[in-house]
Amino acid sequence: MTTKLDPGKVAQLLTQSSRQLDNSTLSALAEARQNAIERQLVRSSVAVLSTGRWTHNLIPHSGQQWLATGLLVAILMFSAGYWQHAQERKISELDVAILTDELPIEVFVD
Amino acid sequence: MFLVFTRPLLTALVLLPFLVSSPVSAAPESWQSLSPAQQEALAPLAQQWDSLPETQQHRLLITAKGYPHLSHVEKQRFQERLTVWSKLTPEQREAAREKYQAFKKVPADTREEVKQMIKQEQQQKAQQTDNSDAETANQ
Repeated sequence: MTTKLDPGKVAQLLTQSSRQLDNSTLSALAEARQNAIERQLVRSSVAVLSTGRWTHNLIPHSGQQWLATGLLVAILMFSAGYWQHAQERKISELDVAILTDELPIEVFVD
Repeated sequence: MFLVFTRPLLTALVLLPFLVSSPVSAAPESWQSLSPAQQEALAPLAQQWDSLPETQQHRLLITAKGYPHLSHVEKQRFQERLTVWSKLTPEQREAAREKYQAFKKVPADTREEVKQMIKQEQQQKAQQTDNSDAETANQ
């Protein structure tokens, strides 16, 4: 069996019972409510930032993160440069080998 | 803690292509601006040097660095073949490099046999050329 709740009556009952509470309980409840509202505001603003602007997550926020970014960029650039240099060196060694081999160049060229 | 490492990594990966996308080749160099050692190595290309593409100039300059370390015979071969080599397309040069590398992987005795065959072919061709020259001179 289900009883239909009248929201108006419930609110009236709650108001009546809240009048019976002492001041310290009322102020504790008010403080808890205020805290809950503040927490909800912070959560919703973070959600907007993280879903609306993905770039926000890409940009380093602290000096430490900028330093780490700089170091990573430097390491990656150094590695790319080193790899490129090694490739060029390998190609030039091959070119010299082809140009100086006992076999004529026509053997390797179509 | 997770973001401390992911943010810098993501930023670095986004920035990197922009930072390393600058062209590899140096600015075009005129024949006059080359050092005497470079000019000696690349002498057969003196006439066409200034009209060569920058990337080819750059590659040839790197290749020329090995020239001083070559023997007398190797230096001769290097200079004799340089003009033909410079006239090839980049694709032909790349194909030649691949063929050369593949040939180096062939067992040494097989490689030697191939070398002998090619030498014999060359000698026959040279003899034929000499004979036809002699016949032309007699007529």
